[in-house]
Amino acid sequence: MSEEKNVVSRRSVLKGAAIGGAALAAGGALSAESASAATRLKGSTVKWTTRGGGATGDKIAKAVNDAFTKKTGAKVVAQQVNSDDFQNNFAQIMQGSPDDAFGWMAGYRSNHFGEMGLLADLTREIGHLKSTLPTAAIKGATSPVTKKPYILPTTYYPWGLHYRKSMVKEIGMNPEKINNWDDFVKLMTLTQKKGLVGYSLGAKGGWEAMGTFDILNARVNGYKYHIDLLNGRAKWTDARTKETFKYFAQLIPFMNENVMDISWDGMRDLLLQKKTGAMMMGSWFANDFKAKSQADYDDLWVVPFPEINPKFGVDTIDAPLDGISVAANGKNVTGGKALAEFWASPEGIAEAVKAGDTNIYVSKSFDTSSYDAFNKQKLAVLASAKNIMFFLDRDARGDFAGPVVGPAIQSFIKKPSDINKILENVQAQWDALPKN
Amino acid sequence: MKTAATVKKNRSRRSLSKTDRFTLATFVGIPTLLQIILLWVPAVVTIILSFTYWNGIRLKDIQWAGIQNYKNIFVNNPLFYQALKNNGIWLAFFVLIATPLGIMLAYQIDRGIKGHAFYESIYYLPVVLSLAVIGIIWNFMLQPGGFVQGLMGRDIGNAISIYGDPKINTWVILGIASWRHIGYIMLLYLSGLKSVDPALKEAAAIDGATEWQIFRKIILPTMQPVNIIIVVITLIESLRAFDLVYIIYGSPTIFPLLNLLVFQNFAGQGISMKGAAYAVILLLLCIVPIITYLRISFKEDLK
Repeated sequence: MSEEKNVVSRRSVLKGAAIGGAALAAGGALSAESASAATRLKGSTVKWTTRGGGATGDKIAKAVNDAFTKKTGAKVVAQQVNSDDFQNNFAQIMQGSPDDAFGWMAGYRSNHFGEMGLLADLTREIGHLKSTLPTAAIKGATSPVTKKPYILPTTYYPWGLHYRKSMVKEIGMNPEKINNWDDFVKLMTLTQKKGLVGYSLGAKGGWEAMGTFDILNARVNGYKYHIDLLNGRAKWTDARTKETFKYFAQLIPFMNENVMDISWDGMRDLLLQKKTGAMMMGSWFANDFKAKSQADYDDLWVVPFPEINPKFGVDTIDAPLDGISVAANGKNVTGGKALAEFWASPEGIAEAVKAGDTNIYVSKSFDTSSYDAFNKQKLAVLASAKNIMFFLDRDARGDFAGPVVGPAIQSFIKKPSDINKILENVQAQWDALPKN
Repeated sequence: MKTAATVKKNRSRRSLSKTDRFTLATFVGIPTLLQIILLWVPAVVTIILSFTYWNGIRLKDIQWAGIQNYKNIFVNNPLFYQALKNNGIWLAFFVLIATPLGIMLAYQIDRGIKGHAFYESIYYLPVVLSLAVIGIIWNFMLQPGGFVQGLMGRDIGNAISIYGDPKINTWVILGIASWRHIGYIMLLYLSGLKSVDPALKEAAAIDGATEWQIFRKIILPTMQPVNIIIVVITLIESLRAFDLVYIIYGSPTIFPLLNLLVFQNFAGQGISMKGAAYAVILLLLCIVPIITYLRISFKEDLK
């Protein structure tokens, strides 16, 4: 019955969108009906997509969705999809018959599709959660163009310099004190002298090395310059950009010789097998260390990428923000919004954590008192930064980051002496993009 | 001459019964209609879109771009030339090495050399696997930490850069692709050879022709229809190469191919009509040589 109603409401929403010319109107029209939302929610069906995560992902989704059903009386039908496929076909899925709510990524990836009318405006929901969310997270979830949020922020993770404490001790350094560029170069040099890889990097997928570029540019030229560069307000051919690549070039002699052959999992294995001094990566792989053995996990450490320019210190970090988005073309937008809000609420987070979610939530309600040393260190790394970047392929437009910057960094690693030509080329390709 | 042909044609058309005509209309009409809807309409739309800026979402956002997408590809994008080179090498390798090898194998097996059934089955085996599966198998063997690297005593830290080093990866990829292509061509040719009248070969042998002469003067000309198929397949397989490389790399930029660039510019957040422009370039590269070749061979047939 109420499902029928939702179908009708979806149609009227679509009609409204067609007349108004903007599907965003859908958000407004629905919030006006919000008084009856709770009653309409009961007995309706909400569709949920889990993006990857295997059995744990399913288990977490089931726990949160069941709690939602218990609270509201709405049924949740969940499915898990392959993360890459979902991402590659996102625009098509959102224009077809998408699930109502799903885990998604902040930054360009939600803003762009929100601005195009494919993701629902979540202003009202983020308003409800305001007291539990840090301002930076709300800002991060809001489109700078429309000033509307299209994602409810939930989790994030730091990109930092990872190494093994035991290996750093072995070369006679203090693992707690890898603070500046000189420390870092010393660490790599001494490790390499032992016949190991000084700095491991993978670039097979085209995105892994972006993390190293992001942080080098932020350390050398600061957060503002980096974001300006990714959005066309600074030039790739600028001497400051070249300065960043000079530091990048210093890392190359320390790298493994098969950079183009491995991806992030190869980097992880190098560290797991004690074959590398350090690597710059997102901390998500720590669970794999734990799976290997508690000793390996206890040995793993992460610090902010070392300081290069004292003017900027270590004030910036790549910490991609994830969250929950709602499809504007879903069959049950009201239900989707309610479910998304539940996932991002303290209640939902508690359920997820109970079901084994090891992610760090941005919510102030999130309890970290039981955290182990590594997770506490992750929080410390996050707290050390004043500015949060979302990673290059979320901070820059999609038709530029993947097709242009990724291959440019690969060519640079293959032939660093070509850097001027490569950067001229990147700038030319930026200039050729259609601007609105 | 021409009029005679027309008369002949007209007569044969008139002799069709109503049922014949209905059957013909159904058999030709439905596929043609499907072809137009599923192939030609999207193709024409793609060609038009390749002259626009669009992110594939709202129709109202389409902007006219003129030749900018093409200009961007030809002038600014080094990946395009790398892809063109890789597709070119792929084509040359298939035309000069893989396909002739397949034909030679078929010929030898057809002659019934010792153990031909054994050879036939081992060369045919890879053909039953899809290129995606072949990619998974060979990635597992050759990647750092893979089986072959292990045999060479290399771990991830010092694994040979087989897929990453452009001096090596081209030949490795072509080797893997040929592993399947040779068997495929062999099978096609073998089925053709079975239908060649053995009396022709015997007659030539009695006349004192060498093996090579028999192959060139008897087999190749009698196999003309199969030859056409093989040339077309070799061309298309080389130019449309995608799945094997995509499975191995997961990204289009270390071993760029035209089809990978089409995909890269159509998938995910990066949808732009540069993808359409790449698709049009690829279409032209496929269609022009194939049509030219078919016209020449059919003209020869008419003679």
